[in-house]
Amino acid sequence: MLRARQDDAARIERRDKPAVPLVAVDKTNSEEITTTMPSGQSVAQRDLRLDFFRGLALFCMFIDHMPDNILARFTIQSVMFADAAEVFIFISGYTAGMVYGRAMERQGFLLSGVRIYHRVWQLYVAHVFLFMMFMATVGFTAGALNNPVYAEEFGAANFLNEPGLAVVKALILQFQPAFMDILPLYIVLLAMLPFVLSGFKSWPWVVIFASVALWLAVQFDKRIALSAYPGPDHVWFFNPFAWQCLFFLGGWLGWRGNHGGVPSLKQRWLFYFAAAAALAGFVIRFSWTLHDLYDPLPVPVSMEFLWPLLSKGDLGFLRFANVLALALLVSRLVHPQARFLATRGAEPFVICGRNSLHIFCLAILLSVLGHLVLNEFFGGTLMQIVVSAAGIGIMISVAALMEWFAAAQRTPGSTAVRAPIPDGGARG
Amino acid sequence: MTLRSMSRTIIVIAAGNIGLLCAPTPIFAQERECSVPERFYVSEPQLTKTPKAIVHGQELVIVVLGGASTLGIAAGKPDLAWPARFAAAVAERFPSAHIKVVNLAVARQTAKRAAERLDGEVIPMKPNLVIWETGTMEAVRGMDIDEFRETLRAGIDELRTAGIETVLMNMQFSRDSEAVIHFEPYLAAMSQLADASDVPLFRRHGMMRHWAESGFLDLRVSDSDQRRRVAAKLYDCIGRAMADFVMRGSPGANSPPVKAGSAR
Repeated sequence: MLRARQDDAARIERRDKPAVPLVAVDKTNSEEITTTMPSGQSVAQRDLRLDFFRGLALFCMFIDHMPDNILARFTIQSVMFADAAEVFIFISGYTAGMVYGRAMERQGFLLSGVRIYHRVWQLYVAHVFLFMMFMATVGFTAGALNNPVYAEEFGAANFLNEPGLAVVKALILQFQPAFMDILPLYIVLLAMLPFVLSGFKSWPWVVIFASVALWLAVQFDKRIALSAYPGPDHVWFFNPFAWQCLFFLGGWLGWRGNHGGVPSLKQRWLFYFAAAAALAGFVIRFSWTLHDLYDPLPVPVSMEFLWPLLSKGDLGFLRFANVLALALLVSRLVHPQARFLATRGAEPFVICGRNSLHIFCLAILLSVLGHLVLNEFFGGTLMQIVVSAAGIGIMISVAALMEWFAAAQRTPGSTAVRAPIPDGGARG
Repeated sequence: MTLRSMSRTIIVIAAGNIGLLCAPTPIFAQERECSVPERFYVSEPQLTKTPKAIVHGQELVIVVLGGASTLGIAAGKPDLAWPARFAAAVAERFPSAHIKVVNLAVARQTAKRAAERLDGEVIPMKPNLVIWETGTMEAVRGMDIDEFRETLRAGIDELRTAGIETVLMNMQFSRDSEAVIHFEPYLAAMSQLADASDVPLFRRHGMMRHWAESGFLDLRVSDSDQRRRVAAKLYDCIGRAMADFVMRGSPGANSPPVKAGSAR
């Protein structure tokens, strides 16, 4: 009984996702009807842009997270001030606002809140799993770390001296060693989502204003941060008080998207303004990339002047503005069902983006492993490309497997015993 | 703990006309293996005043700031630390040089703490050059990157205002530390800062990685004697590479023992 309920919940979770970005063909029940169709048909109506660009961000995130990877010079971070993290968090916020915003309107606060917290729990488990991997690495290298050439410096790493405390701090998200900083951010953002969504329903402008004000406050006062281990002056790398703005702004847009979008965003001048901003961002950022590749090349604007606006942890103004400008451009220039998004070439991106929660966790896990492999065996550029390709191959394979599994579960008469569900959205 | 107690030790090396460095000790007989590829040097700005002063035999002071790896206790003796080997390498190649290298390294010192010492300790010594090794503590403890960069920038500006040239040196590399510590963002911050401030960056991390990749540097030895030998060899290589790095562009620097072309 319990098992059946779990499966049910899992399935509805899945089925709901395709339901999400559907273009509202009919006002009432058409979305649910479409969700019960095999994925091939419902896919045709999804907002494929969300899947595609989230998939792209996941690949970039994986590549960027392997130090010394030559390919990291060619990801989105080399052409805009923001990087994969901003793109991912924004699209995730948008999708979450759309899916759970609708769920909240239909199922009420409690039920949709529990669904969101089910996701939070999955992220938390992934975080704990990553921490296990980290501690395993530490355990493996502990013997070597006593080499006096660097032992003194590593003795300063508190987690080596007090592993017990480090475990507890990791469990309460305060210990964020290598690669373990983004999941805690995602966890707290999702955990806040039910409250923010119900705020959107009642006083949307108050919530948006508060969110932006909090982001702005962080820009001027660095003390607004979450403390981290080891204290006393350590804070979370991704400042949730700043990043919440990107996530919830995305969430608001996604929620409004369910109700016909935001008309003021469709004005012409805004489009030109965003285009100009994105172009300026591209010219400046790309000149830094080229300068980095070949030192004598000049840069129009020195990075030094823009540093105060480029903080990654605090989501500096330029990073924020650039990702918003890009989002506006994409939303206007790319049709939700643009033909290229449905091609075979786009499919790997789309399926990874569609299963983003799992592929996101997998990407982080793989970048840890890829980093260890590159670190252990070196091998230069060729090896970096091979490891990157292998990692992306694994991400795509797992996403494809998940797609296949989900489709198999939906198909009557498949090995997975399951009765067809008439309306997904109304249950949970 | 012993390292910490020794950490405040200030080692002053007077090298130059002393002559004890004319006959290198046998340990360093095959030191020439640790060549450094040109890519670590070419895009870095050259120093102007310091190499000239060295070539002309002027009396000059070079202050070194840093952490445990600059203190060099792993090699066993203070005069085996890289700043001492740097002084020796300069003296070897420029016998008329008259330099005093002052090693002010303190184990586990953060960039912030080192920067605070500039005003009271470093600048009063009227050094011609400050070599600032930093970044390790920040990476190990996962400290704020923006703040780290700003600290370095302020420090470099302070030294520049005092008419002192600066060389930055980044972290050490080892496979094992790399596995648990996320150095990349701190390396990038230092590299960007050096580029923006027009200060030469001695890329120790990259060099050590290069030596590890080429099989020359193996830090995975467990015997303590062997470890000491490896450390001494490493510090000697760093010191020599630093001598090359500092003397780039100066007359007479064309025949250094460590040549770019011989990189493996």
